Amino acid sequence: MDMTKPIESATSQEAAVTIQRPHRRRIKLGTILQHAIIIFFCLIIILPIAWVMLLSIKSIPDAYTGDLWPQKFDFSHYGYVFTQIPTVITNFSNSIIVTSATVFLTTVSAVLAGYALVHLRLPGAVLVVALLVGTLFFPTRLVSLIGIFEIQMAIGLHNTLPGLFLPYVTLGLAISILIMKGIFEQISHEIVDAARIDGAGSFHILWTIMLPLIVNGLIVLIIINFVTAWGEYLLAVTLTNDQEVRTLPVVLATTFGGFGEWAYPRIGAMYVMAILPGLLAFIIFQRWYMKGLTEGALKA
Amino acid sequence: MANATYNPTKTRRWGLNTLRNSLNWVYLLPALVFFFAYMLYPILQVFYISFTDYHYISSDPVNFTGLKNYFDAAVDPIFLLGLWRAFVFTLIFLPGVIFIPLFVAILVDRVQNPRLATIYRVILLIPIAIPGPMIFVLWRWLYDFQIGPINTILVDHLFLFDPRNAPQWAGDSPLTLPAIAVMEWWWGLGYHTMFFLAGLAAIPKDFFEAARVDGANEWQMFWHVTLPRLRPIFVILVVLRFGTSMAVIDEFLIMGGLNRALPTYTWTVYMWHLSFQLGTWFQGYAAAIGWLGAAAMLVIVAGLFYVFRNRD
Repeated sequence: MDMTKPIESATSQEAAVTIQRPHRRRIKLGTILQHAIIIFFCLIIILPIAWVMLLSIKSIPDAYTGDLWPQKFDFSHYGYVFTQIPTVITNFSNSIIVTSATVFLTTVSAVLAGYALVHLRLPGAVLVVALLVGTLFFPTRLVSLIGIFEIQMAIGLHNTLPGLFLPYVTLGLAISILIMKGIFEQISHEIVDAARIDGAGSFHILWTIMLPLIVNGLIVLIIINFVTAWGEYLLAVTLTNDQEVRTLPVVLATTFGGFGEWAYPRIGAMYVMAILPGLLAFIIFQRWYMKGLTEGALKA
Repeated sequence: MANATYNPTKTRRWGLNTLRNSLNWVYLLPALVFFFAYMLYPILQVFYISFTDYHYISSDPVNFTGLKNYFDAAVDPIFLLGLWRAFVFTLIFLPGVIFIPLFVAILVDRVQNPRLATIYRVILLIPIAIPGPMIFVLWRWLYDFQIGPINTILVDHLFLFDPRNAPQWAGDSPLTLPAIAVMEWWWGLGYHTMFFLAGLAAIPKDFFEAARVDGANEWQMFWHVTLPRLRPIFVILVVLRFGTSMAVIDEFLIMGGLNRALPTYTWTVYMWHLSFQLGTWFQGYAAAIGWLGAAAMLVIVAGLFYVFRNRD
């Protein structure tokens, strides 16, 4: 389990121990307070999510009384939204298609680019990096919006799934390349040189030697781009107006709760289904995610 | 790929070497294709139409109108009010998104038990696994006066208000922008805490030893050793978050809609409204508003970098 521990904490603990040794009793109270405050913040993070999960299994009258704990549970909402609201299954599969395509395209582009920027001789590489960093300080998404709309209209991609995932790739591309660059910088050039002397081509080196070394970074990229594409809203409402091609989160964001089909516990159930894939992926991969984050992501 | 048959004996020839290096650009090709097609080209196109009277729903020929759209926007009260609203939001948002994570990071950094330290980090990071728009939907419900738990707790459990004077968190209320800022703090807490934790971990431990030998207490060490070392992270976060919060749009569209009277109707919402909803979709003018707002932001970002420049 020691693997889950971020690399740097070991040294900081040793330091903290030496700081506290002289007056242990006073620090003890401080430690309790410290944990209490952290737990308070953790609760603030968890409670809203717990509330919406509870909402999705409340009976409909209970959802409207405002009571936090329901008098009566009702687990039928999940079945209801899948069988009674005809577009939900379409929206769900749209989400899966759009997200997988975006994640795949962005990750492949970012890995190839990051590898080339760090480990290959590339005339003009500095320019590319400067451009990428520049896009982080400019509201690219906002300023490019009208132009993207014009392009998709012109080539007939309005109201189509490729019309969504192609522009989605650019949303996370710059940060993904910078993260990948940070990860590749952790790998020593000697490995590449050694392999090259053995006659390995640059793609061969990437595929067989590098790939196993960048797994943590890949997981960070996949999660970041998954979350971005899965929930993207602005481009989706701009580039589609047909409920049939929209993704599940967009349907939720454009729906106001009410009665009948859109009663709160029912859209609560839709909501939980919409956030669950991301949450599960994060919980399952958090070990690698944390390591990837400390290895390169935060340095980017 | 291109140089799979690369032979080390040939590299001494300069021409082949350069050619081989240029072939390495093949690796950047996929990224560059997306970058040009869906970022650079549309941005330049928007720049071009900002100098025209282009209406999307119109068959009239497009005329070049020079700087007219920019001059019109510069005196357009809706745009200026929108810019001001975005600025007010940024002022509320920035302190909380920097100082709360800094505070939490200092606490988490001192957690001794490695397993607990990891659990805290994972819990705090949970919101990054939820897409932004989904967070806005969740908080729209949390703030709801009918089903929202926040008012339920304030009214029914803490008895701070009764239903008639319970706070209104959304719509036309002075609390709307602070309420959205609180939501953003919640969303970014773990992520920004991780930045500061990385910064804290990067401080060499002998700095503290040296300070202690010199007789510094905990507070002095924090003030004179820790804070100056966190400065680069601090600067980057202030500048980055200033930029993102001035250009916020999804939050305002989801939580406020397209009602001009609401404090959520900022310049970004106005731009979107003009481009894709209002009248004949005057995208030429909307493009000018987009560029003008972005330019105003860039000026302030440059100013921030100047203020925070390294003086030593």
